[in-house]
Amino acid sequence: MIRTALKTVFAHKLRLALTALSVMIGVAFIAGTFIFTDTIDNTFNQLFEDVYEGQDVIVQAETEFDVGFSGPPPIDESVVDVVRGVPGVELAEGNVGSFAVIYDKDGEAIVPTGPPTIGASLTEDSRLNGNAQLRDGRLPEASGEVAVDARTAQDNDLQVGDVVQVQTPTDVGDFEIVSIIGFGESDNLAGATFAGFEFETAQRLFDLEGQVSSITVIAEEGTSPDLLRNAIASALPDGIEAVTAADEAADQSEALSDQLGFLQTALLVFALVAVFVASFIIQNTFRIIVRQRQKELALMRAVGATGSQVVWMVVIEALVVGVVASVVGIAFGFVIAQGLTGVMSTIGFDLPASSAPLAPRTIIVGLTVGIVVTVMAAVLPAVRASKIPPVAALQDVDVSLRMSDRRRNIIGGGVLAIGVGLIVAGLFGDVLDLGPLNELSAVGIGAIFVFLAVSVLSSTIVKPFARVLGWPMPKIDNLTGTLAVENSVRKPRRTATTASALMIGLALVAFFFVLGDSIKASAGAAIEEGLRADYVINVDGFGGGFGQGLGEELRDAPEVEAVTPLRFGFWDHDGTDDFVMGIDTTTIDQTIFLGVTQGSLEALGDGGVFVLEDIVDQEGWVLGDTIPMGFSATGLQDVEIVGVFTEANVVQSNYLVGLDFYDENFEGFGTDLDFVLAVAAADGVTEDASRAVVESAAADYPNVNVRDQAEYRQSQEDQVDQLLVMFNALLFLAVIIAMFGITNTLALSVFERTREIGLLRAVGMSRRQIRRMIRWEAVIVAIIGAILGIIVGLFFGVIVTAALASQGIDVLSIPSIQILGLVIFGAIAGLLAAILPARRAAKLNILEAIAYE
Amino acid sequence: MTTMETTATASIAARMDNGAKIYGEGDTEVRALDGVTAQFESGVFTAIMGPSGSGKSTLLHTLAGLDVLSDGQVHIGDIELGSLKDKDLTLLRREKVGFVFQAYNLIPTLSARENVLLPLLIAGEDHDEEWFNQVVGILGLGDRLTHRPSELSGGQQQRVAAARALVSRPEIIFADEPSGNLDSKSAAELLDFMRRAVKEFGQTIVMVTHDPVSASYADRVIFLEDGKIVDELLDPTPGTVLDRMRQLGA
Repeated sequence: MIRTALKTVFAHKLRLALTALSVMIGVAFIAGTFIFTDTIDNTFNQLFEDVYEGQDVIVQAETEFDVGFSGPPPIDESVVDVVRGVPGVELAEGNVGSFAVIYDKDGEAIVPTGPPTIGASLTEDSRLNGNAQLRDGRLPEASGEVAVDARTAQDNDLQVGDVVQVQTPTDVGDFEIVSIIGFGESDNLAGATFAGFEFETAQRLFDLEGQVSSITVIAEEGTSPDLLRNAIASALPDGIEAVTAADEAADQSEALSDQLGFLQTALLVFALVAVFVASFIIQNTFRIIVRQRQKELALMRAVGATGSQVVWMVVIEALVVGVVASVVGIAFGFVIAQGLTGVMSTIGFDLPASSAPLAPRTIIVGLTVGIVVTVMAAVLPAVRASKIPPVAALQDVDVSLRMSDRRRNIIGGGVLAIGVGLIVAGLFGDVLDLGPLNELSAVGIGAIFVFLAVSVLSSTIVKPFARVLGWPMPKIDNLTGTLAVENSVRKPRRTATTASALMIGLALVAFFFVLGDSIKASAGAAIEEGLRADYVINVDGFGGGFGQGLGEELRDAPEVEAVTPLRFGFWDHDGTDDFVMGIDTTTIDQTIFLGVTQGSLEALGDGGVFVLEDIVDQEGWVLGDTIPMGFSATGLQDVEIVGVFTEANVVQSNYLVGLDFYDENFEGFGTDLDFVLAVAAADGVTEDASRAVVESAAADYPNVNVRDQAEYRQSQEDQVDQLLVMFNALLFLAVIIAMFGITNTLALSVFERTREIGLLRAVGMSRRQIRRMIRWEAVIVAIIGAILGIIVGLFFGVIVTAALASQGIDVLSIPSIQILGLVIFGAIAGLLAAILPARRAAKLNILEAIAYE
Repeated sequence: MTTMETTATASIAARMDNGAKIYGEGDTEVRALDGVTAQFESGVFTAIMGPSGSGKSTLLHTLAGLDVLSDGQVHIGDIELGSLKDKDLTLLRREKVGFVFQAYNLIPTLSARENVLLPLLIAGEDHDEEWFNQVVGILGLGDRLTHRPSELSGGQQQRVAAARALVSRPEIIFADEPSGNLDSKSAAELLDFMRRAVKEFGQTIVMVTHDPVSASYADRVIFLEDGKIVDELLDPTPGTVLDRMRQLGA
C-alpha cells in the first residue's frame, strides 16, 4: 500500500512540486522568523559578551526596576577608590557614557536609524575597554581628541588626523580624530556610531564631572569574579551594586531580546497566516487529485482494499508532500531571514550582519507545522474518497458526495456567527466570559472562523458572482471569455476554495488599509484640534531625545511665545512597562490642548499624575485615588491622581506628570533630554521670522526635526505608511501562496479537461486563444478572491476601528482607491498565476488530447 | 486511380501522395502508413475500412492536418499541409475542415447552439442564419438548441457535432467512427443525414468505420491493411462490403 502511494506521488512531479511549494513557503516563513530572531539574539549576546570581555566585575547604581532603555544613573567618582581598596582587585577604573553625534566632512550628522550614537570614555589599559581595539592611531589623551569606530570612518572617509565636529550633551565642538577603533572582528557595535574620549574630557562633555557611569574591575590572578563581587559588594555604600561582568552581559542582552520579543510574535502571526492560506491550497489539491483518481481508487476497493487503506494511501501521499516541503521550507528559511533583515533595514532598523543559527526549535516547529497542516488538509478528501461505492465509480457515474448547498449554508452561517461573535467579544470585551482565552486570541480565532465560513459559503455564490463578473467578458473576447466564465463555475467548490486562499491575504491587506487610514485620519484630526503650537521639534526613530539647551534657547527668543518640553519615561505598572510623559504645566495650555475634565494643571505642577479619562473609567479610578507607580530611580511610589484629561493623541501618553515630579523620579535616567518641544510663536511674528528662529536654534542639534503643523501631521502619516508597507510586504507572501493555489488548481483543471481542449484545438482554436481562455478563468477566480477579501477586510477594518475609538482612533476612513486597487492587483495576480497552466494547455498534443481518457 | 496524378483541380477536395507515417526506429519501427496515395473528390462520401491497426485512423488524422506525415504529401484543396506551421494548420482546420469524432464531441459548458457555431465563434465570424436553420432543421435539433450537452441523448449529441462540422461549409469533413457509440436507430439517423449532406449540399465527407452497415451509406469504400490501400469498392451495400472484407482474409 505504501509503495503504491509513493509511486503515485512521484508519478506526478509537477503536482507534487506545486502542492509542496505552498506548504514550503509557509514553513519557510516560520523557520525564517525563528532564524531571524535567533540571529538578532545571537548578535546581541555576542555583542554584550564582547563588550565585557576580559572584565570581571561591574559596579554601578542599583536600580529598582529594569525599565526602559537608558542605563543606570551615574555614581560618585569617589566610589572608584573604595573599589580599588578591596583586596583582590587588580584594576578598577571608572568610565562614563552618553551620546555623541559625529558630523561628516560636509557638516551632516551621522545618525543611524535605530542603533544609538554612543559616546564613551576610553582608558589606557585596553582590558577595560572590552573588545574595543585600536585599528589605527593612538588613544585620545587630550580634550580635543576623539576616537571613532571603523565603520563610521570607512563610510564617511574619515582618517586619523581629520578634524570633525562632534556633538555631546553639553556642546558641539571640533575634535581631531586620533584613532580608529574596531570591536573584535566587527567594525562597529551592532550598527551604532561610537565616539571615544579621554576620561576627564568625557566627564566634562557628558556633564558628569565628579561622577562615573560605572566602574570596571579586573580581578587579580587567581581571584574568582564571584568571590570578588561579594567582597566589593560588602564594601559599597547603599544604592550601589556590584555584578559580575558575565551576569551583566547576560542581563543586558536578555533585556534587549525581551524588547524584540514583539517582533518575533508579529512575524510568527504573519507566518501562520501564510500556513493557513497554504492549507486551503493543499486541501483543494488533494480534493481534485482524489476526484481524478476516483476510478483508480474504486478499482482498488473492488479488488479488495478496505476503505481505511484508501484513506491511508492518500494520507501517505500527503505525508510525503509535507515532509519534503517542510525540509525544503526550513532550508529556505535562511532566505526569508535575509529578506526580513532587508525589510527591517528599509524601515530604518539596521541590523548587523551575523551568522544565522538553526536551532532545534526551528526544525521541530517547522516540520511539525508543515506535516500536520498538510496531512490534516488531506484527511477530509481522503475520507471522502473511501466512501465512493466501488461499482458506481467504475461505471463512471458522477458520484456526488458533496454536501447539499442548504446544509453547507447552514454550517457556514453557523461558523460565521461564531467567528463574528468571537471577534466582537474579543474587541469589546465584557460581552462573554472568555475563560482562558485572552482578547487578542479571541479576535484571531474569530478571524480564522470568518475566513473558513466565507470560504464555505462562497461556493454557493461563486456561480452568480462569476456570471456577473464575466458578463463583460464575452463582449470583450467572445468565445474564450464565455468559456472562461463557464469553466470557472463548473466546480464552484473548487473555485471558491482557490479564491478563498487569495481572499485571506487581500482581506488582511484591506484591513490594514482601513485601519491605517483611520489612524492617519484620527491622528490628523487630533493634531488639527489638539496642537496649538506652531512648531513641533522631535527626533525621528525609536525614542531619541535631545539636549535641553534647545528648549532654553527658544524660551528666551522674543519671537517665541511659549515652549513646552515633553519628557518621556518608562514606569512599572503592576509588572508591565508603561510610559509617562513629563510636561511643562505652565505652558502646555498655549501649545497642546489636553481636554482636562477634572483637576487643574496648577495642581499637576505640584506633583501627582494626570490620567486619560478612558483609562480612569477602565480601571475604576476616581480623582484623588493614589495609584502605585514603579520608577527606576525611586522605586514604588504612591501617586495621587490629580486630574483627568481626554486628548492623548498629541502628547502620546495616557499618563502625564509635571517636570519636577519627572526629574525627581527619573533622576539619571535620561532626565537630561527633551523628547518633544512644542513651540508657539509670539503674536505678530511672521511665519518666516518665527521659523527662521526655531530652525537656526535647532541647527545645533543634528538629530532633531522642526515641523510646522502640516509637516508634523505628514510625518505622523508617513510613520503609519511605513508600517503599512512593512505589513503588506509580509502579507505579500500569503498572496504569492494563493497565486500558487490558482496555478495548481488551473493546472489540475486543464489536466481534467484535456479532451475538451483537444477538441477545441481540432476545430480550429489557436494556441493563443487557448491561453487566453485559461487566463480569463484565472482572472475571474482572482477577482472573486479579491472582492471577497475586500468585503471581509472592510468588515474587520470597520469593527476594529470601532473598538479602538477609545484609544483615540475615532475617525473611520476607508481609502477607496487603494482598496479598489486590490481588485486590479488581484487580476494581475491571476494573470501571472495562469502563465504556466495556460502554456501547458496550449501545448497539448491534439491527437493525444482527443484520445485522452 | 494512381494514374490520375494531375495537379489539384477544383473537383479534388483532398489528396494524399505516397504518404508514409513511421513510428519508432530499427527493430521497433512501425509503418502505420506505408506509401498511401488517394484522392477524395468533392461531393463524394468516402468510407475508410480496415482491421484494427491497419492505419485507417492515422490516414484520417494526417489528411485532416491533426498529425504530420513522415514522408509524402497531403493537400486540402490547393494547400499542401507539410509546409504549414501550427498556426496556419489551425486556421486551415478552422476554415476548411470539419470534424465529427466518436465521442466527447462537444464542449460541456456551451449550449447546443453554441456548440454548432463553435468554429465560427472561434474565428469571431458571423454565421449565415438561414444556413444554420436549415442544418439544425434537417437534424431535428430545433427545440434542443438551448440545452447543454449533458441534457442531450447520445444521438442528439452526435447530430450537434455533425451540424457543427457542416455549419462553416468546410471543403471536407472528417468523421472518425461517428456512430460508434450510438444505438442502431440513432446511428442510422446520423448516417442518413451525412449522406443527405453530400447529396443535397454537395458536401465532401471522409469517414473511418469498421462497421459494414455504416460503410454502406458511403459512395465509395477504401480498404486499408498494414498501412496500404488494398482495395476499393464503389456504391457499396452492407453485403458487398462484408464480402470484400472476408476476401481480404480478416
